[in-house]
Amino acid sequence: MEETGFSLLPFFVWMQESSFSQFMLDTTWSQPIVQLMHLVALSVFAGSVLIVDLRLLGVGVVNTPLAKVADEATPWMVWALVALLITGTPSLMSLAMKQYFSPFFWWKMQLLVLGLIFTFTIRRRLTQTDESKLGPVWPKVAGMFSISLWCGVAIGARLIGLFS
Amino acid sequence: MLDMLRALFETVEAFPSSVAIRESLNGYPILLTSHVIGMCVFAGLVMMMDFRLAGVGNRSTSITDVQSRLFPWQMVGLVISAISGLLLVYGQPMRFFPNFYFWTKNLLILLAGINIWYFHTKTYQTVEEWNTDPTPPFAARLAGIVSIVLWASIVMVGRMIAYPGLVPQWWLDLGLEG
Repeated sequence: MEETGFSLLPFFVWMQESSFSQFMLDTTWSQPIVQLMHLVALSVFAGSVLIVDLRLLGVGVVNTPLAKVADEATPWMVWALVALLITGTPSLMSLAMKQYFSPFFWWKMQLLVLGLIFTFTIRRRLTQTDESKLGPVWPKVAGMFSISLWCGVAIGARLIGLFS
Repeated sequence: MLDMLRALFETVEAFPSSVAIRESLNGYPILLTSHVIGMCVFAGLVMMMDFRLAGVGNRSTSITDVQSRLFPWQMVGLVISAISGLLLVYGQPMRFFPNFYFWTKNLLILLAGINIWYFHTKTYQTVEEWNTDPTPPFAARLAGIVSIVLWASIVMVGRMIAYPGLVPQWWLDLGLEG
């Protein structure tokens, strides 16, 4: 990171040195509690993404129109995402230096940004298009791509904690 | 009883295959990561089904559809998490034996199993009468809510296994670490 002209390091140092991070590190239960809520939110997020991805792959709840499945899963996905961001931020701040120097953190964040852009543009467009016009291939490609991306995010996330 | 259990865990810990997992460089990260992926698939899709039962999600899909069409995928998640979970314990039995959250998690999984059994043998028998109701009857909504609470607790208690010291004092007083 240091070789490039622009560095996020000062921002991460600021996060690490904030009084909020100090509070997180000083209270016994604060870190486990945000991790627990992060994992529950992750489960809901994964379910609401997967039910649509399976439907895109032509399996799962195939008797319900794709747009309906997506419409009903989206609020859960969005709220789970909000919960993930809210619970992820304290973890990021209190362990900012560890995160900055973990290659898995940057792996996770790059895939996360890609996943969010894909989900709220191409995937959203696909799920709202008349299914008969989609053909057999693109929905499957999108479903596989979505599953792979989010697995990549989860794997990267898990590995931050294991290698530091 | 407790001594027999301890003896079992100690015996497993001495198995060469257990030692091999324990001492493998990548074994633990691979198993733990697989456990998270399995959790996402299993807990995620179980909760999608529970939301339908509770009347708060997937309301355009019939109950039997949500149940039967998601079931194979829930099983995929269950197999991944169960195998990786068993291997995690198999590789470090004496790390888990004195762990409060490990036993609490097992107890909660048992309760979730009882909830599934009760729902399928009683409530689900009349499903044809309310299969497409956006809001199912009270007994079905209750089963859904109980399941959500139980699986969310299982996920949380599972994470707490990594904090063996943050437990009630009476548990530490049992002296299982010994």
